[in-house]
Amino acid sequence: MNIQRLRLAVQLLSFTVLIYGGLFAIDLGNRLPTFACSYVPDHGGGCFLVGFQHMLSRPLPEFLGEQGIRLLKALGIASLWAIVLNKAWCGWVCPIGLLQDLLTKLRVWLSIDMSRFSWMTRHRYKSVKYILLALLVLIPLGIGNGLISRDWTAPYCQLCPARPLLPLFRGDTTQFAINFLSIPTMLLTGGAIILVGLMFTTSFVKRRFLCSYCPMLAFLSLFDKIGLFSLKKDGDKCTRCGNCYRACPMEIREIEEEKTLKNLVTQDCILCLRCVEACPENMALEAQFAGFSFLKADAEAFLARQDAGAAGTGTRRRRKKK
Amino acid sequence: MNELPPGQPAPASATPEGDRPLTRKERQIRKVRLHLAMTVREIFEEMEKDPSRPKAMAYFDDIFRKFMHNGEGVIKASDDQKVVGTYCVFVPEEIIYAAGGYPVRLCAGAHDSSEIGEDFLPDVACPMVKSEMGFAAMPILDFYQRCDMVALPASCHWKLKMGEMLEPFDDVHMLDVPRVKESEKARDYWLEEVKRFQRRVEKITGKRIRRRQLRDAIRKIQRAQREVVRFQNLRKTIPAPILGRDALEVLNAYFYDEVEDWTEALRALNEELEERIANGVHAAPPRAARILLTGSPMVFPNWKVPFIIEDLGGILAADEFCTSQRYLSDMVSVDEGTMGDMLMAIAERYVLPCACPTFSNTIERRDRIARLVDEYRIEGVIYHVLKGCHPFDIELKIIEQLLREKGVPMLKIETDYSPEDVEQLRTRIEAFQETLKGRL
Repeated sequence: MNIQRLRLAVQLLSFTVLIYGGLFAIDLGNRLPTFACSYVPDHGGGCFLVGFQHMLSRPLPEFLGEQGIRLLKALGIASLWAIVLNKAWCGWVCPIGLLQDLLTKLRVWLSIDMSRFSWMTRHRYKSVKYILLALLVLIPLGIGNGLISRDWTAPYCQLCPARPLLPLFRGDTTQFAINFLSIPTMLLTGGAIILVGLMFTTSFVKRRFLCSYCPMLAFLSLFDKIGLFSLKKDGDKCTRCGNCYRACPMEIREIEEEKTLKNLVTQDCILCLRCVEACPENMALEAQFAGFSFLKADAEAFLARQDAGAAGTGTRRRRKKK
Repeated sequence: MNELPPGQPAPASATPEGDRPLTRKERQIRKVRLHLAMTVREIFEEMEKDPSRPKAMAYFDDIFRKFMHNGEGVIKASDDQKVVGTYCVFVPEEIIYAAGGYPVRLCAGAHDSSEIGEDFLPDVACPMVKSEMGFAAMPILDFYQRCDMVALPASCHWKLKMGEMLEPFDDVHMLDVPRVKESEKARDYWLEEVKRFQRRVEKITGKRIRRRQLRDAIRKIQRAQREVVRFQNLRKTIPAPILGRDALEVLNAYFYDEVEDWTEALRALNEELEERIANGVHAAPPRAARILLTGSPMVFPNWKVPFIIEDLGGILAADEFCTSQRYLSDMVSVDEGTMGDMLMAIAERYVLPCACPTFSNTIERRDRIARLVDEYRIEGVIYHVLKGCHPFDIELKIIEQLLREKGVPMLKIETDYSPEDVEQLRTRIEAFQETLKGRL
């Protein structure tokens, strides 16, 4: 089974359901922990951050009443989703993730080599997503309590690159604009356009550039330990050959270095499982769902995959002349 | 078997007898060729005594029998093909194949040529470097003289200084292998070294390496490794379907053979072994003590230790030699398939998982030995140190500690290429294998 092909199929299906689902009477609710933009008309499922930010924009005492219960309910549903699929939301569902993966395929097709941040840079920017997540809570609270101007309402929706981008797939161009209403809206909506631009340009240099800073990834990473998907490593079987690190779009070095840690769903992992496919050592890496193992590293399977064409997007096998 | 009468010099270097006396050098060449031919013949006479040898071994025997005839025909490079000699486990063969070259590994195991090597190196140098020097300096084996360039990684101290000594005889390209391989800069640096090697090979062969050629070369070696994985899995069967010395021969033949031909020959052997297992034919009795060999590498014709082990009723179940199993066990993983991705994959495959003791850490080697002990159900480990091979000697204590923790007895033997200590080794190995039997 070629997991990367399966993953692409699932990503395309999720994209269709999330963007066009409304046309087929599909509604997964508005509490999904992924960038399924609610600004898409008749979407099949919506991102929970929209409602979450609005619910947070209230005076503090209100949270002791009905408002608090509504907030907990929203958070609870999103958390349940996060436990069931944890990081698979990023690697298998997220439409922005899919777009970046497709652009990566284009880059490879154009024979442009990937590049990576230096280990130091990569390490330094790890905390950005958590700072963004903290601001995601603090800014709406500030608005609700009169500390910050109303122009900052739902700041992450204004800043999110999915908002201008995804409605385009339904022919809705109204979101692809900068809102000149005030300086905050200008900064935020302008930022969103810049992020869209960055997504397109950086995809020709790096893999999944935006994901490392995504506050949704930070939110999902809170469930790494209790999520149903897990990525196990048997350090004794590992030769530290570095194949997994090279394959990792999120540049997670622990996957190669770690010899003792058992669960390798680290804060940046998006569960794309490329590492398991790139691993040539029997049983060194293993992907499980709720304790049930569904993919194991295997030398023979690895070599068979390599023979048939590179694991991910690489060159296909040439037909043998007979 | 078309055997040359021993002692007859090759036509190329023959001098009309009687015209003038042979020079010292010519006498030496003659002597070494004669001795090498005798050693090779003895080995194969011994091997032929084994009636249950797999038939597919004949292919590999043929390669080594050619060592009796000055090594002519050992390598299959066509006349216009450039031959790149390699040492150690760090020279990326994929690059040589992709540029249309023919790689041949020059690590040597002949006692007589190591005596020539003593002219260049101090007494305490390991016999392998001496032997390599001897073959490089004197026309004994044909393929040492055919090399258009020689790639020499600076692994141990002997190899580091050997480059300059080789320069009068070969076009030498030194590869600087980083010693502390974990650091980021070491990886970047090694990748640059691999690219430098690529440019050099391209210059020698006159062919630019493109994406497709490199992918094909990688695939060729991956296919060989696929058969190796299958072979090694078959070797895990108890009772053993093949003797360890035969397995050593198969893997050693990879040095010289064209990779696709070798893969085919190994496939035939694997099929035969599968059949043998199905029919219950085995090479050693089920209770034979399962031995793991580790330490300094053993190269043809330095097979005295494996012969002793198996003559005494043990079975060499696995080895951890850079000239054998370990050389072919780490794999290149092509991910994106761009030129940069493939070069990085190649560079990392040769260094990151490598368990060579010239690296600063022992983790890779320790874990590898622990895995081998478990997977091949090893009962005793023989730690082989060539006199003068310091890196393996240094790691001895660490491996000893590991094996003590695992409860596997270990015997250290220190030897060189000379046949003189065979009886002494036999006594020690016999005593060791007796204690293993006692444990069962």
